[in-house]
Amino acid sequence: MKITMTQAATIDIRNLNKHYAVKGKRLAVLENISLSIQPGEFISIVGASGSGKSTLLRLLIGLENDYEGQILLDNHQIQGPSLERGIVFQEHRLFPWLTAEQNVALGLLNSPETDSEKARNVQEHLALVGLQGFEHAYPHQLSGGMSQRVAIARALVNRPEVLLLDEPFGALDALTRSNMQQELQRIWKAEGITAILVTHDVEEAVFLGDRVVIMEPRPGRIREIVDVRLPHPRDRANPAFATIKQDILNHFKKEAFA
Amino acid sequence: MKSLESWNWRGWVLPVFLLAVWQLATAQHWVNTKLIVPPIGVLTTGLKQVTQTDFYVGIVLSLGRDIGGFVAGALAGVALGVVVGVSSLADRVLSPTFHAARQISLFAWLPLLSALAGTGELSRVIFIAFSVLYPVALGTIEGVRSVSTGHREVARVYGFTHWQLLRRLILPSAAPQILGSLRLALIIAWMATIGAEFLLVNDTTGLGEIVFKGRRAFDVELILFGLLIIGLIGGSAGQLASRLETHWLRWRAPIR
Amino acid sequence: MNASVDDAAIFARQGLQIAQPVARHVAQPRLSTRFGWLAQYAANAGLGLLLPGLLLALWSVTCQRHWVAEQILPPPAAVVDALYEVVQSDELLTHVRITLFRLASGLLIGGSVGLVLGFGMALSERVKAYVLPSFQWLAQLPVLGWIPLLIIFVGIEEPLKVSVVSIAACVPMSLGSMNAIRNIPRNLVEVGRVFQFSVWQLIRRVVLPAAAPGLFTALRQSVTQAWLAVIFVELLSSSEGLGFLMAYSRSLAQIDLVIVAMLVIGVLGLLIEGALQLLEQGLLGWRRSVF
Repeated sequence: MKITMTQAATIDIRNLNKHYAVKGKRLAVLENISLSIQPGEFISIVGASGSGKSTLLRLLIGLENDYEGQILLDNHQIQGPSLERGIVFQEHRLFPWLTAEQNVALGLLNSPETDSEKARNVQEHLALVGLQGFEHAYPHQLSGGMSQRVAIARALVNRPEVLLLDEPFGALDALTRSNMQQELQRIWKAEGITAILVTHDVEEAVFLGDRVVIMEPRPGRIREIVDVRLPHPRDRANPAFATIKQDILNHFKKEAFA
Repeated sequence: MKSLESWNWRGWVLPVFLLAVWQLATAQHWVNTKLIVPPIGVLTTGLKQVTQTDFYVGIVLSLGRDIGGFVAGALAGVALGVVVGVSSLADRVLSPTFHAARQISLFAWLPLLSALAGTGELSRVIFIAFSVLYPVALGTIEGVRSVSTGHREVARVYGFTHWQLLRRLILPSAAPQILGSLRLALIIAWMATIGAEFLLVNDTTGLGEIVFKGRRAFDVELILFGLLIIGLIGGSAGQLASRLETHWLRWRAPIR
Repeated sequence: MNASVDDAAIFARQGLQIAQPVARHVAQPRLSTRFGWLAQYAANAGLGLLLPGLLLALWSVTCQRHWVAEQILPPPAAVVDALYEVVQSDELLTHVRITLFRLASGLLIGGSVGLVLGFGMALSERVKAYVLPSFQWLAQLPVLGWIPLLIIFVGIEEPLKVSVVSIAACVPMSLGSMNAIRNIPRNLVEVGRVFQFSVWQLIRRVVLPAAAPGLFTALRQSVTQAWLAVIFVELLSSSEGLGFLMAYSRSLAQIDLVIVAMLVIGVLGLLIEGALQLLEQGLLGWRRSVF
């Protein structure tokens, strides 16, 4: 039973543009991205390589800051990284010299909690991702899926208002991946935060998302946003699920022939 | 298991054989026993030495210089390595001079050093520290540069301050290379210690001086015993360092 | 297939970004004009010379103000004079020649013995089992420790110098070449055997090229050790050579000559290192590709 609930955030992206200067020429990476995300919503972003989806995520987390337009979190312009936004990368990026417990605690390094509060927090989150008993394991002793779960715990440990996920299961095998997708859905429901997932796997996007944002490349822009009005827990065998998934795949087929 | 035992056994064959030949040669007077002394002689001289306080004073002094110089040089080397590894500006200012100075073989610095700082304890410790500076700095630079971008981004996401970045990411991440270079530096420092004692003739004493005394007196037994001790100290220090390194780096995935 | 823009974003060349709190910043513009690279090069050269320049200035001032006695630290001008003198009088050349001779012979002898030992230990498990432990044990003792012993057996003439340098070069060469060969990927050797290479062909076409990078590292370490040994033994007991020049000048409080000798040693070291690098480039140009 958690003592404090996470606050979920509203995210507003307005007319976001980003470009690189390559040999004097302007290379547009993201063009006119506008998106409004409700608190507690799960947004999946799909697109082929080059559609700028990862760049969008990096802008949201604050690792890149050179852009035009506005990115608002609860109506405040974001300024670089902050503990209110958590991220899970494709590689787990755990520090190999720290145990699972210590890695999760890393997220609380600059948080104002007391030491005992932090310790309890870490335990709770390890339990949340199903890793009680593995507190003292080093990353090299954990499987890929387990390490990624530690990364998720680390991202959630300071109760951010939004969780960003950049192809978090891309490096895992298919079986682990589908397990992890279910886990992620459970965790998201339990924490009640806003989540934004970037993936190239359409089924994953439909399984997890309330809405699926389809992006197309060169330059990266939003092609369409598809609603997924299916009840939780999602059932992959459901015909409605298959229809939505096929719909979205068709978008990409069109692209291939364009 | 069987092959492990036989490996150990075979390693001893050569030294034991040579020892036996040596003993035989001296016992049968095949060689000039003034020059090639019987192994027993080394032992008896050794036992004699071990009873004299001079001997222990010598060892303590040598070790003291070694450790003092090593610690000073290692700290400076890590600091220098971190600065050069982290700041490209520092790299461009410091590295050229550093690499040029390295071309001058270590002992070539000793005459100048002894002119500036005398032949006493100070120059010895400075010399030993200097010998350690380069390898440790080099290892540190390599370690600092190999910090992964992925981890650096994690540090940014969690708002690490500069100090936190150094203490919690850079140094632990560079630890394998730093510790490896420290192990190497240990060997170099011991060599610099003994070498300095050979070259800087003085009133003080040390293991090197003991060996030198042996040479002056044509006391081959003393020389050999001294060399034995020098080798033993070097070897045990190396073993200790290895154990420490394995312990501190136990978080690493085993190779294969 | 064009590179993904996402890739460019993620792997953009960033130096170590230390906790940037500011929201908006534009990446540092690199000089991309036609002569930009030249300006960059000049700037780097300038920075590199900054420290030596400062040290030189400090040195001059120290001498001018007599903060240190002249016998202890002569001014830069005196060093230049001494250099000129000693080059004119052919004296320098003699010493250089002798030191280089000892270095080369020691490297040749010690290096070849080391190479043979290394090969033997790498290729034959038995040889390794018998020889390596003794070797490692011997390596614990710094090579200069052997000198007092060698002096008694071999005297203090040329054989002493050359044998010290040889021993110094032998150890890293054997251990290094042994490792270089042991680290050759098994797969390559197997390819050779599938194609029925003879032993000689295997060695020439698989073992040597694959072990070459490691062998060069071993060679470099041998050179370093050889330099250490030759300078040390010349400082300790010699009547000629650069080490002797330094020891002699030091005893006569002619520190300007000491510094000259140091500079010459440094230059020689640079030249030898440069030659090694050229050789390495020539032989190992293929190293760009990872195998």
